Amino acid sequence: MKTSFNILIAGVGGQGNLVCGRVLAEAAILEDRRPVLGDTFGASRRGGSVLTHLRVADEDMGPLIPKGHADLVVGMEPVEGLRSTLNYASPGTKVVVSTMPVYSPATRSGQYQYPEVSRITSALRDLCEVVYAVDPKPTLDRIGTYKVLNVFILGVLSGSGVVPFSREAIQSSIEKTVGLETSNQLAFTSGIEEGMRLRSL
Amino acid sequence: MNDEDSYLLMSGNEAIARGALEAGVGFCASYPGTPSTEIATELQKVAEEYGIYVEWSVNEKVALEAAAGASWAGIPALCPMKSLGLNVASDFLLNLNLSGSGPGGLVIVVCDDPRGHSSSNEQDSRFYAKASYLPLLEPSSSQEAKDLIGVAFDISQKQQIPVFVRSTTRLSHSSSIVEVSPIDRKPTTARQEIPDGLYNVPNPHLRHKELNETKSKVHSDFEDLSFNSLESTKASFLILASGVAFRYAKEAAQAIDSPHIDVAKLTSTHPIPQKTILKWLQGRKRVLFIEEVDPFIEEQVLSLYAELEVYETELGRIEFYGKQNGFVPAYGELNTDIVLGALAKILRIDRDKLKVAEEKGINLARELLIPRPLTFCAGCTHRNIYWAIRKIRKRLKEGLVVAGDIGCYSLGVFYDGSMNTMQAMGSGIGTATGLGQLHRFGFEKKVIAVAGDSTFFHACIPALINARHKNANITFLILDNATTAMTGFQLHPGTDPGEKDLTQVSIERIVNAIGPDLFEAVDATDIDATTDTLHRIVQMKGLKVLLCKSICRLEEKKDRAKEPRVFIASEACHGEKCRICVSEFACPALEWDQSKGVARIIKHACIRCGTCIAVCPHAAIQKEGLD
Repeated sequence: MKTSFNILIAGVGGQGNLVCGRVLAEAAILEDRRPVLGDTFGASRRGGSVLTHLRVADEDMGPLIPKGHADLVVGMEPVEGLRSTLNYASPGTKVVVSTMPVYSPATRSGQYQYPEVSRITSALRDLCEVVYAVDPKPTLDRIGTYKVLNVFILGVLSGSGVVPFSREAIQSSIEKTVGLETSNQLAFTSGIEEGMRLRSL
Repeated sequence: MNDEDSYLLMSGNEAIARGALEAGVGFCASYPGTPSTEIATELQKVAEEYGIYVEWSVNEKVALEAAAGASWAGIPALCPMKSLGLNVASDFLLNLNLSGSGPGGLVIVVCDDPRGHSSSNEQDSRFYAKASYLPLLEPSSSQEAKDLIGVAFDISQKQQIPVFVRSTTRLSHSSSIVEVSPIDRKPTTARQEIPDGLYNVPNPHLRHKELNETKSKVHSDFEDLSFNSLESTKASFLILASGVAFRYAKEAAQAIDSPHIDVAKLTSTHPIPQKTILKWLQGRKRVLFIEEVDPFIEEQVLSLYAELEVYETELGRIEFYGKQNGFVPAYGELNTDIVLGALAKILRIDRDKLKVAEEKGINLARELLIPRPLTFCAGCTHRNIYWAIRKIRKRLKEGLVVAGDIGCYSLGVFYDGSMNTMQAMGSGIGTATGLGQLHRFGFEKKVIAVAGDSTFFHACIPALINARHKNANITFLILDNATTAMTGFQLHPGTDPGEKDLTQVSIERIVNAIGPDLFEAVDATDIDATTDTLHRIVQMKGLKVLLCKSICRLEEKKDRAKEPRVFIASEACHGEKCRICVSEFACPALEWDQSKGVARIIKHACIRCGTCIAVCPHAAIQKEGLD
């Protein structure tokens, strides 16, 4: 079954999850591969979990990654990153996870308590060998908008070398998909730096 | 959809739209519904450029009727809709199939939603192809989705009957590379004469006979359809798969690879190409069916196998596996893992070898997961309506039944069970007309029906007339945010059309013409006024209609960042012993500050509507610059 490179992007509606998948798929095309991009966005605008399956192969694959076969899990949100890792990862899967939580109605109501983020990252490290936990908050606060979270994460993916696409391909794909105006450019560059730093640790 | 590249990343829906353009579509009528919406949306974007007509019809039945009208006059017509939409259109469909769709060509694209990700059921709409004797094609990739639309138009134009193309959520909403062809636009001109005899009386049975004959012709054409394919014919084990599930089957077969398994892709799933399938079955000992939702191909192949002598064919004994004998789950959505599970069971392979070993940390990690239930957006006025309903429910000693409908406001079922029922479009007011008659049997509960504006036009008007005519004792709430919000803000008859050549239809005037006992409007952003008005009119006898002037905050044009900021005065907040704002009202812009034990506003989520101010019993929520 290992004929494709499988990336799972997990987040919450409004985080730019779908765009993130689109950018990586376009980058795959620039690298002469055949991407299949599966979105589950039925509830994306209403607080639900959003999953994007990206499979990069040389022929058309089914749009869903089989259990245990994700090569990379991108958690745009800590709990969602863990949820997808549990469902789709194996010990060899690499994980990039944002440590910035998005609370759910179930935690706001007091019915559930959002877990300590450090417990989530340590659970991820128990499950997978390579886990890059990244805190986007300082960068996003500096740029002044949370809307560029996805572009920042794309930078981290590129800088940490977990995706099989060149930086140039990702950059021109961002430019084509969402544009590279100042805040996106800043977010992407900061993400690359953060990714390189994590990789060198 | 630019034409510069010939290889494009396209979703199944974009590919369907592209296929229609390449096939020379001139007319498209649809009603929005996930996962089908983007087909008409894509065509609408290029309608002017290519001189085609695209409309959001009032419902799917009208869409299909409009598309048939175009096809009768020689204009190639496309009618995309979601699974449940076909139920609405089916009355017309089961007459149109007999009358014929004329020379233009009519392709119906139905997008099923296995597992019901965005639907209230997971119906398999392929049975409509069987019920209507019409041809059905199932693409397995975006490329095929594009190409098959052209094939479908060819068949429809040749046989003058509608042709179905069935997609599913995973095809419609996944993207892959499509090699596109140029769009050759010749001017489309309508014929002045429509075909004779576009009715089935007085001899519908003879039309039925003719349709059977047409079906046989289509059936023999399908024997040569290159989209039905089988790469190898050597293995004793065959998987027969259709649609996107073919991809799952192929991947699962590759993963097992022992013994060798062949995978056939059946694209024309109604009528099935019998000779082709009999050829595929030669030399097989085991056959597994992989198809989304119901055993549709399975039943047809089993019935074919049961009458081999008719086809003068001899096959050895074949064991069949599928949904009928429980080797494949008969509900829910398929994936590669499910196909692997079925193969493991049939081949008696130890499934653990296929599964990733369970790690020690897994159960521990599962405890960290929190659920993420769906909720209304920050500032959504639907929440206000249900808040009012919750309050009234507490006040009324005889109790309340809220019959709901389809739209964003369906989330009312998850909001403290504020909405009690939800079935089809328009069924809220329909079931309420029945409930509203039950006082004669001692039923004491007050009855409220809830519907949105687009749903009102789609399917509520006959039921509202029924309620009036029969004097049902109900309160009907119309949640009017002037858009089709759930599916992405499509225009409907009540929307202000702006510059477009459309005429706005007034809900008020329709309701007034029906003549309820009481008809009022209320500003749904004013939660106190909404609660008081609703409480007052629910207790009155007769048919009462309340038009709730609502706002979709996702579509609102106003720059809300200029509004005064809403904040919580921590000293006034009663803390843990209250929590009404976060636990009960539960706007996603409100959260609990664990360290201080008070509520707080999430600045970047708050749209500054200030509705929560009225919800706080201690006046702790305030607006800047106001006292």
